[in-house]
Amino acid sequence: MSAAAAATDGTYSPAAAAGEKRRERKEELRRHLAEDADWPRADGRSFHDCRPAFMQTGPTTAASGSAYAEFGKTKVIVSVFGPRESKKAMLYSDTGRLNCNVSYTTFATPIRGQGMDNKEYSAMLHKALEGAVMLHTFPKTTVDVFALVLESGGSDLPIIISCASLALADAGIMIYDLVTSVSVSCFGKNIIIDPTSDEEAWQDGSIMVAYMPARKEITQLTLTGEWSDGKITNAVELCMDACSKLCDILRERLKDAASLAE
Amino acid sequence: MAATAMDHDGGEVVTPGELLGNSSLLAGLGAYADGRCVRASITGHRRLVPPPPGSTDQRSTVEVVGHKAHGAVPQPGSVVIARVTKVMARMASADIMCVDSKAVKEKFTGMIRQQDVRATEIDKVDMFQSYRPGDIVRALVLSLGDARAYYLSTAQNELGVVSAQSITGGTLVPISWTEMQCELTGQIEQRKVAKVE
Repeated sequence: MSAAAAATDGTYSPAAAAGEKRRERKEELRRHLAEDADWPRADGRSFHDCRPAFMQTGPTTAASGSAYAEFGKTKVIVSVFGPRESKKAMLYSDTGRLNCNVSYTTFATPIRGQGMDNKEYSAMLHKALEGAVMLHTFPKTTVDVFALVLESGGSDLPIIISCASLALADAGIMIYDLVTSVSVSCFGKNIIIDPTSDEEAWQDGSIMVAYMPARKEITQLTLTGEWSDGKITNAVELCMDACSKLCDILRERLKDAASLAE
Repeated sequence: MAATAMDHDGGEVVTPGELLGNSSLLAGLGAYADGRCVRASITGHRRLVPPPPGSTDQRSTVEVVGHKAHGAVPQPGSVVIARVTKVMARMASADIMCVDSKAVKEKFTGMIRQQDVRATEIDKVDMFQSYRPGDIVRALVLSLGDARAYYLSTAQNELGVVSAQSITGGTLVPISWTEMQCELTGQIEQRKVAKVE
């Protein structure tokens, strides 16, 4: 009996067993995330809690306007220059131009990177902001927005958009409304807001909404992964509500800065 | 939200997008009309300006005075101070440094064409006897111009060269609307001189 068992286990391999165990553990964790309705997040937040936020205007003295934002571990600094002369290569334009550039520092990610510009994020930031900026108020000139991610801790792009909106208001650029942005992640039946890097790595899908709360207009909506119709509606409404609350914080920050200036 | 009269000096601080009033108000500087509302477009103090007496529209104007407006941008009709950078046969190139007594943060390129130097004898203008590189001129912005430069004009008495240096490096003093004299050497040089106020 025991000899027969030993014979059948002749192909036993410790690595295979460990791999199998790891797969089982991973599968169990995924099932736990997807189906359980109330598990605590790694940092102790509930499903609909944002991370603690810190925002400040005016950290870059050389820029016309600037803003710094921290959401948990994500740290972003945005500088706005202009309106200034467009480059000679550009054609004449009756309306102003908005240029956006998003870049990461080499030390922003856990694995040291090249510090490259992020073309996709730059295009998305431009799309989020151009609906809010009154381009007709500075014809023939250019406003440049530079966003630098000092530390990437998840939900980078929504924080970049909110911080850029604060920087534009600080620069005195005429805008229709402040643009705030929030993203949510989907885990099976559950929707969590303002995901961290670890949560983003595990998500089934995500939605990012850039929103002008006073005008109740969405300037950008980005969807990834699998979503059902009803869940999309719930997620977008959740984002809009969070954007309105974030906008109140931005307005407070701007009013404080305006009061301090006198 | 009922609009109430407020002090001219310090109203409440408003931020972009905030409601300033309804259609009973006109949107002034720093505000814009959005359907039947008036909203702020910059951060600053809300101010209510009474309608001018005798106007047909009796609505007040609400405006936002920004504590930190963005840098000055040349507009058609504004008077600018510029430094001449290049003089050619038919035009002069200049860097705009001030707009209506406000300094620009980064320079804008302006251009003074031959026909815009003075109001008289336009066809006989000699650019090299009107400006020299380095001269400081006061000019009027005619238009946005083209992709390269704003079109400037000095075809008024108050417009023209306000400060210049001679070839030998001395300060030039205006002696007529076409001539300046060097302080050091007494040499007379031709310029389109601005009328001294």
